[in-house]
Amino acid sequence: MEIAKRIYGYLPGSTPIKVATSIVLIAMALVALHFFYEWVGSTFLDTGGTVG
Amino acid sequence: MTQVAEPTAAAAEEPPQLPPPSRGYRLLRAAGWTLVWLGGLTLGFVAHQLWITSWFAKANQAELAVELEQRFAAVEIVEVPYEPPEVPGETVPPAPSIAQGATEAPRFLKAESAPEEGSAFAEIRIPSLESLREGWTVVEGVSLSILKNGAGHMPWTPLPGQPGNSVISGHRTTYGQPFHDLDLLEPGDTIEVETALGVHVYSVKEVIVVKPHDVWVTHPRPGAWLTLTTCNPKFSARERLVVAAELVAGPNASVILGRA
Repeated sequence: MEIAKRIYGYLPGSTPIKVATSIVLIAMALVALHFFYEWVGSTFLDTGGTVG
Repeated sequence: MTQVAEPTAAAAEEPPQLPPPSRGYRLLRAAGWTLVWLGGLTLGFVAHQLWITSWFAKANQAELAVELEQRFAAVEIVEVPYEPPEVPGETVPPAPSIAQGATEAPRFLKAESAPEEGSAFAEIRIPSLESLREGWTVVEGVSLSILKNGAGHMPWTPLPGQPGNSVISGHRTTYGQPFHDLDLLEPGDTIEVETALGVHVYSVKEVIVVKPHDVWVTHPRPGAWLTLTTCNPKFSARERLVVAAELVAGPNASVILGRA
């Protein structure tokens, strides 16, 4: 939480802009995490079962 | 005297000064937080693989079911001469029409136009498996993005109901896990694949485990076969579970099995 507060403190602009920027950053992080999870899952866990 | 007593009272109200954390304490705290974050990421990964991928697959399946109905209504069905599949290393048996005498009329298979890659063209049902009793829409193609829908047909193999070896691959533990329980199949169990031609019924002949590069399981076979492949063991891509089933009934069974 300290890191999150520190990052929030570094964000430029007024409070509404900081909140909006935070939401965009969190959404981007979740999308990146989704694709990372997909890659790990389809590489190591379950490739879909194809052969060759 | 009063001037001396005031700073002493102020000093008494201040909290006691803690010594700065030692280097070992800071390292331990950083390691603890790292483990907390790694644990959170791992839990997120598990939730993503088990539920989020399945949610996406089932949402896609709902759309594909509509697409499949449209294909069934619109697809063109033609009759083509029956030609036995060419099996490498085996003598090709003569076509039944020739074997039974030249005077007999040539026999024809029903065939449907090839589906486009990524489009729905069939539904697979396995009555003995709860996960596949209701049916799962099969799409054309086996790329990673296509298989996010659950199950896909290898485009270079025949369509279900046609001579040769039709291969369908599917996820075992993610993306709706359509082939989760394939290991429970036993010889004699039936697999139904519905295409625009009708329902093709296959009987399971063998359930085996092979390596991921054992492409021989996709090679042509005499008659008409359906091969299902999925990852094995569960939650691992180390091996492949393969189910081989032979056509026993359906729109083309009488021609392929020589019972016409």
